[in-house]
Amino acid sequence: MAAAPPILQLRNIVKSFGSLNAVDGVSLDIEEGELFTIVGPSGSGKTTLIRLLVGMDKPTAGDILLRGKRINDVPANKRPTCMVFQSLALFPHMSVGENVEYSAKCKGIGKKERRQRAAECLKLSHLPQSYYDKAVTQCSGGERQRVALARALAFNPEILFFDEPLSAIDYRLRKTLEKELKDIQRETGKTFVYITHSLEEAMVMSDRIGVMREGKLSQVGSPATIYTQPENRFVTEFMGEVNSLPVRLADDGKLHCETLDASFEPPAGMPPGFSRGVLIVRPENVAISDDAAPAGSENLIRGELFNEYLLGSRIQYQVRSGAMVFLIEELRADAVARLPGAEVTLSWQPGDSMVFPE
Amino acid sequence: MGTIDRLLTRRLLAAYIAVILVIMYVPMVIVGLASISKSRFFLFPMRRTSSKWYEMTWDSLQVHESFLTSLTIAVCVALISVILAFFGALAYARYDWRGRKLFQQVLLIPIFFPQAVLGLALQLWFNSIGIQMSWQSTVFAQLVWIVPIVTLVIAIQAYGYDSAVEEAAYDLGASRWQIFRTITLPLLGPGIFAGFLFAVLLSWGNFPLAYFTSGADVTVPEWLYGKMIGGYTPMVPAVGLITVVLGGIILAVGLTINGMLQRRD
Repeated sequence: MAAAPPILQLRNIVKSFGSLNAVDGVSLDIEEGELFTIVGPSGSGKTTLIRLLVGMDKPTAGDILLRGKRINDVPANKRPTCMVFQSLALFPHMSVGENVEYSAKCKGIGKKERRQRAAECLKLSHLPQSYYDKAVTQCSGGERQRVALARALAFNPEILFFDEPLSAIDYRLRKTLEKELKDIQRETGKTFVYITHSLEEAMVMSDRIGVMREGKLSQVGSPATIYTQPENRFVTEFMGEVNSLPVRLADDGKLHCETLDASFEPPAGMPPGFSRGVLIVRPENVAISDDAAPAGSENLIRGELFNEYLLGSRIQYQVRSGAMVFLIEELRADAVARLPGAEVTLSWQPGDSMVFPE
Repeated sequence: MGTIDRLLTRRLLAAYIAVILVIMYVPMVIVGLASISKSRFFLFPMRRTSSKWYEMTWDSLQVHESFLTSLTIAVCVALISVILAFFGALAYARYDWRGRKLFQQVLLIPIFFPQAVLGLALQLWFNSIGIQMSWQSTVFAQLVWIVPIVTLVIAIQAYGYDSAVEEAAYDLGASRWQIFRTITLPLLGPGIFAGFLFAVLLSWGNFPLAYFTSGADVTVPEWLYGKMIGGYTPMVPAVGLITVVLGGIILAVGLTINGMLQRRD
């Protein structure tokens, strides 16, 4: 069976404001029925990009194709796509039911059919039917999220866009809603395009992730690929706290770090022709030991433990070595009681480190 | 401690409210008394009362005409200013456009301009371009002053809601006209109503602009002024009180209708 053609294709999209390119040459294929997340820090152009995709703004250059048809000049109200806004943008003067039925009413669909569709969408987004007559101003934060989702689902869009709708929600509720969203996406089989600044959120929900930086896509791939094979330093560091060491390749084939005056074994996947750059090791890949020279370990560094943070199931340590501070994480169950000020040895397997040229 | 303090607070508050009410309403009571005095001039204590000034007021063609003139002007001013101010408020608060800052500043100038000077200026202008002055020219003159105020009243409402709701409606397939009818207009409704009320009240009570620009037509404040400077009779307070009572009746009817509508929802 031949793969279905992508539902949405972006070809070299550019959006400029004056001399600034907020979106700077983005090309991307979004597949039918996937949950694609665009993630990036604030100011990376993701909101500008999504506004182009729903039709609120027009791209300066490039083409947007929906099922192979160019839709650059189709205004938002004529596109079969729909967005859940960051502020949710619920209509405050209407009831939950009126909000959900709004798109059907604009199309001139009859009352009975509207009502039935609204009931389905309330159910899909886990809202009780009794909420139909409730004023949206009386709904709680989580309920308002669900109303916004139900309203967008009632539009029956080909692609449903989300502009960080969960950013203002407290942690526990956000976790619940993320998973529900994923379930709803699977249940309806619709294509969801989600934007967020939180990679954690992206990891939980997405089939694929696109990491955005300064108007460009830095890397596109599955959550696992993004995590295990980041293509550049930005993606690696965006994913969370990491240890970055400035290094250069010495004559003996090892990576020399001048700040620490130490040499490390390079990973097997070091790019050819590498001469100087950064060596990156994730905190969970650094082993911590009280022994001065633990058996079978490479890349040893001595340091002083000066901070310890409890992160639920894991413990994070900060260890100072020379002018650098290392982050180390281990499972709480594996942790040994240590006191701040203790001398410890850090080590990691060369295969767990990554190098990126400067 | 608590209870004594709270009792004291409540008593002081009651006294404070009583003082305010007295200061606000005693003048109206005096006007009422003045209107039923039998003699032409108001002396206290009053010797004899009479309703004849009310009968004279009721039968006076001048009073009838001035009421009609004032009412016509107020309704015209309110309708026109609400329409102009609605779009002005959207430009003021909603849209980003070149010259918006300038517009916001220029809009305020007529409000701070002394009305007597504004009235005189308009009179000179009407004269020089050869316009016969009547109640219509007063409508124009009052619009110059009232439209900016109503614009500000509606603009406050326009600032008060998230403009993303209009985009959301657009995204859900609504046309520009549908957005206007189902989103913008209802959300600005309270501001429009408040602006209309403001316009009626400001127009009804306005003297300086009407004085300079109404030509031969006479509004209620002009009639009152005319009577005050030459030929005072208790018809003056009688007209004042009738206005207050009429206003009260309109308010009561409005509140009743509003209450009935809300109960039905």
